[in-house]
Amino acid sequence: MRAAVPQLWHFAVEHLLLLPIGAAIALVWVNVDPEGYYRMAYALTFPVNNIGLAVFFALMTKEVVEATAPDGVLHPWRRALLPAIVAVAATAVSALIFVGAVNALDEPVLAIAWPVAFATDLAVSYLVARLIFGRQHPVIPFVLLLAIASDALGFLAIALFHPTEEHHLMQGAAIMAAAIAIALALRRARVKSYWPYVLVSGALSWYALWRSGLHPALALVPVMPFLPHAPRDPGFFVDASPDAVDALSRFEISWRHPGQIALFFFGLVNAGVPFRALEAGTWGLPIGVLVGRPLGVLVGSSLAVAAGLHLPHRLGWRELVVVGFIVAIGFSIALFFSSALLPPGQLRSEIHMGALLTLAAAPLAFLSARVLRCGRFSR
Amino acid sequence: MFSVSRVKPSKPPVVPIALIVTALACAGVLAQSVALPNRSDSVKFAVIGDNGTGDRPQYEVARQMTSSHSKFPFDLVIMLGDNMYGGQTPNDFVNKFQQPYAALLAANVKFQASLGNHDRPENVSYEAFNMKGQRYYTYVRGNVRFFALDSTLMDPKQLEWLDAALKDSREDWRVCYFHHPLYSNASRHGSSIDLRLLLEPIFLKHGVNVVFSGHDHVYERLKPQKGIHYFVSGAAGQLRKGNMRPNDQTAASFDQDQSFMLVEVAGAAMYFQAISRAGQVVDAGVINRQLRPVS
Repeated sequence: MRAAVPQLWHFAVEHLLLLPIGAAIALVWVNVDPEGYYRMAYALTFPVNNIGLAVFFALMTKEVVEATAPDGVLHPWRRALLPAIVAVAATAVSALIFVGAVNALDEPVLAIAWPVAFATDLAVSYLVARLIFGRQHPVIPFVLLLAIASDALGFLAIALFHPTEEHHLMQGAAIMAAAIAIALALRRARVKSYWPYVLVSGALSWYALWRSGLHPALALVPVMPFLPHAPRDPGFFVDASPDAVDALSRFEISWRHPGQIALFFFGLVNAGVPFRALEAGTWGLPIGVLVGRPLGVLVGSSLAVAAGLHLPHRLGWRELVVVGFIVAIGFSIALFFSSALLPPGQLRSEIHMGALLTLAAAPLAFLSARVLRCGRFSR
Repeated sequence: MFSVSRVKPSKPPVVPIALIVTALACAGVLAQSVALPNRSDSVKFAVIGDNGTGDRPQYEVARQMTSSHSKFPFDLVIMLGDNMYGGQTPNDFVNKFQQPYAALLAANVKFQASLGNHDRPENVSYEAFNMKGQRYYTYVRGNVRFFALDSTLMDPKQLEWLDAALKDSREDWRVCYFHHPLYSNASRHGSSIDLRLLLEPIFLKHGVNVVFSGHDHVYERLKPQKGIHYFVSGAAGQLRKGNMRPNDQTAASFDQDQSFMLVEVAGAAMYFQAISRAGQVVDAGVINRQLRPVS
């Protein structure tokens, strides 16, 4: 029994189950005891969404930073050009279909949440892509780059088009410049511990974002690139070796599990959707991404090819359709975007449920792969 | 501290008058004229929610409002959101607002809207809704200060504004209205508890007297909740027949037909009636103004 608990924990962490478990508890709780749920959620929202989630985004950034090293999917940077172009088309088509859908479903006010249609859950998409295509298929880096670019566009859209938040970008920019200057100085001084980066630069960056009216959960994103990292990329979502000495790997080793706990609480605090609050507009987001992403990926790829870029080897239109479904999974990032954009109330509930429903893209990706004979179904 | 009582119509003394009275009662007129004092110096207003369908029931409710207006000359209509369903083109504004309420608009009755989840955000700029481009705003009529809120996007900035605006208000009555009900016992949506936890402490802190909401397509009067009177009036166009699940919180309810409300604030008393599309008074009463918390 004593041995079973760590095993169970390890299984949950390895299979990214803590966030869905938190979300499932939230869904049951809010529909059984809404007042108790909201009291808990309101008390925990700030520390979980603004501080705890900073660890999660730091870990995601760590993967991206390492991907710029030799052997990484972002090395050299120009490899990202094609997926970036495809991401622009894929997110734009998804957002347009989302806006059209919420208008057709008679909840036009939901259109203000259009940046949520940009979200792609990096971890779940990667997991699904690997299950369909295997670790070595050229689709994998393409999916990762597409997901990173889509989320980056989403963050940009939220920063620029937030419906209620007022931005004070100049003040924030000055403080952020100081945070980055300190991180740079630490790097030049060859500081090997991640703590000064996180505690000094990270804290200043957090304050800069909060002061700007931007989401402070991204505080460690501009800091992580300054942490010394391994000379070569060990691979996406490959755990750092326990004896790794570089600051970025040490950060991951120390914060991997707290990051997962933060994700559990993120699901718990944000995924509570009272079913009675839902109206037809709930379907806007699933329709937007389940139709828009495959379509957008095809349109974007066609434009990129027309512009003279080349699709990776073994990536044809059938694989692109499957990729479209894979990157339609918004889940955690869609929940985050929705929480960042919308205050509590019916709209947030509807978009949150829509974010949960985007998980339907995973079985659709498997189904399309099977029908189109892609990846593991090609034999 | 407060009381709510049903107002009973007095019995007419003589038979001929009784016959006339009976006939009038059948038309839904008597109870209205009896229940509302209709004083010359009072604040009179009507309440409609979830009205903008453009369908026949909306027009029939509007006709009933016009009929009431001829005897009870309210000069204000508060709109609880979902003022427009479906298309919201200039033509729709004619079919779903200007035409049904043409007689009231011609009589210079002012509509003061709040928005619901089916309204387009840009409707704040529609002149006849008198929102002046604001999602939330306040105004005064006599001794009543009204606060029209946007419950669809209840962001921290709006909550801060409400807290400050309520604090600054000096009027006898503080009436808030918005789309999503903090208390409702209709089965489709019910109470918006997420919003209740945000708004109720502010209402209690500043002694809000009465709250009107829509969203659930029924009429419900709640028993005072922590001293505040709540009404759900979301059936001035839409209707969810049989959707009410009255419980201990419910003081009165009506879910068999479309409805609207008439309200009169006379000094320290607020008289109200809920009237069906057919003109029947389905609920009526008077609220005595609550004492304010000492600030």
